[in-house]
Amino acid sequence: MALLEARGLSMAFGGLQALRGVDIAIEARQVVGLLGPNGSGKTTLFNILSGLLRPTTGEARFDGARLTTLPPWEISRLGIGRTFQIARPFAHSTVWDNVLVGVTFRARRGPRAALERRREVERLLATVGLLDKARATAGELSLGERKRLELAMALSTRPTLLLLDELASGLSPRGREEVMGFYGQLRGEGLTIFAIEHSARVLSRVADRLLVLDQGTVVADGRPEQVLASTRLVEAYLGEDDEP
Amino acid sequence: MPRGGLIATGLVGLALILLPPLSGFHPYYLYLVSTGLLFGTLATSWNILAYAGQVSFGHAAFVGLGGYGAALASLHGLSPWAAIALGGGLGAAGAVIIGLASGRLQGASLALATLAYAEMWRAIAQNWDEVTGGGAGLIGIPALPTLPWPSPDVSGGRAGGYYLSLALLASVLAVFAGILRSRLGLALAAIREEEERAGLLGVHPLPWKLLAFGLSGFWSALAGGLYVHTVRVVEPDLVFSLHFSILPLVMATFGGVGTLLGPAGAALGLYLASELFLHPYVPAFHQLPYALALIVVALYAPGGLGTLFRRRRHGAA
Repeated sequence: MALLEARGLSMAFGGLQALRGVDIAIEARQVVGLLGPNGSGKTTLFNILSGLLRPTTGEARFDGARLTTLPPWEISRLGIGRTFQIARPFAHSTVWDNVLVGVTFRARRGPRAALERRREVERLLATVGLLDKARATAGELSLGERKRLELAMALSTRPTLLLLDELASGLSPRGREEVMGFYGQLRGEGLTIFAIEHSARVLSRVADRLLVLDQGTVVADGRPEQVLASTRLVEAYLGEDDEP
Repeated sequence: MPRGGLIATGLVGLALILLPPLSGFHPYYLYLVSTGLLFGTLATSWNILAYAGQVSFGHAAFVGLGGYGAALASLHGLSPWAAIALGGGLGAAGAVIIGLASGRLQGASLALATLAYAEMWRAIAQNWDEVTGGGAGLIGIPALPTLPWPSPDVSGGRAGGYYLSLALLASVLAVFAGILRSRLGLALAAIREEEERAGLLGVHPLPWKLLAFGLSGFWSALAGGLYVHTVRVVEPDLVFSLHFSILPLVMATFGGVGTLLGPAGAALGLYLASELFLHPYVPAFHQLPYALALIVVALYAPGGLGTLFRRRRHGAA
């Protein structure tokens, strides 16, 4: 059975049909990339899978549990973490506290011992290279640092499935290389990853499989080389890969 | 500041706080300072809720529920101490009820709902004659029992009320200090900053917000209960007055929302400036300090005075 399975997901915002009967199945430990032009419904799909939106029709299941009726905190506790395309840390809180929230509340009975929580926050901040910024407020961080904090926050709930929304976009070539390193590291740790990236080139390097959404419909699903080999598809749906 | 300096400053501060009743303060001034301390409790209670990002325009509801609850219980023979505690419980329950609205309402909508809630209770107290005494209110509320120390001769018997107001303020400050270092504080800060994101990190916002409402309502209601046992009368327009809703907001905003001592310090400073220096000489302008405080915050200190001195907190783990 797939770890994540969606059947017939549709989402309408008034007259705008953002998703039209999307079917997805993602196996455990897979890294799946999600491509598509702006407005194709990628983030809407992530919002449904993380509990921020209820689909108009259809349902999604994670590890057998029905997601589409659960609030975000229940979904988080089931083991789904996510990042946002535009980083949304708690801007007035310290970097430390940003990560501590997930470590503390990831389960009804999260780690009780302060020392245990402290060690875990230190480990997560070290993983993303922000340990030396622990005392800074999140609002003081650079874009690249905020993206890394996003990742640490998503990991703080100990997810088994990570929804990564354009972790590499807007970063310098060096920043994007760092993100590629994170993808490799997370794959090595056995996490299942469902990732949106603006750059098809970035995704093709890390993903086992690519999905392409257009106007709310899955128009391609396959190995990266197969999907990207379709010149017509790349031109029609992905456009030029404008990031160097 | 070195450790010795901190201890010395603390001791001087403690002496300044404890001495007024013992140093022959006129009972009227002692009453004013006691009321200022009650406003300090109220502003700190308001601040507990604001720390969760919930702005209240209706804390008079909790003061009034505490005041009427304590007065009625006292008049029916309960000891004033138990009556005040009962009033506190009533205020907490009343706060949790309006707190349920925070599951759906945020920001200005929630603030207006709390304002309407306080007005609703004022209207009930005004019209439920057989229980609340209607617009005339209730009189003859028993005085607080005399404390074993200091003697009733000191400062005309007002010393007990002063120390009780001081203890109430100290207790709410201790609770808020504990909140800042606890899971509750971490949850409330996350909810304040971005409720949706907090939810994605496993924080179920409503129970934490209800806890903040309950704590805030409880201490506001205790202040209300103590107040009516000090003035020994309770009326709808006295305890459900808009003053008890708006002044804590102004005081906490001036002192620094989210800071530990700012709201209480601002409450004492603004209330005493108003009552000691303006009310006796230019009564028409006695509200001026509150208006000036808001102007200062708007122009020069957006986070309030307390944030100018606040050290960054690191980790609640």
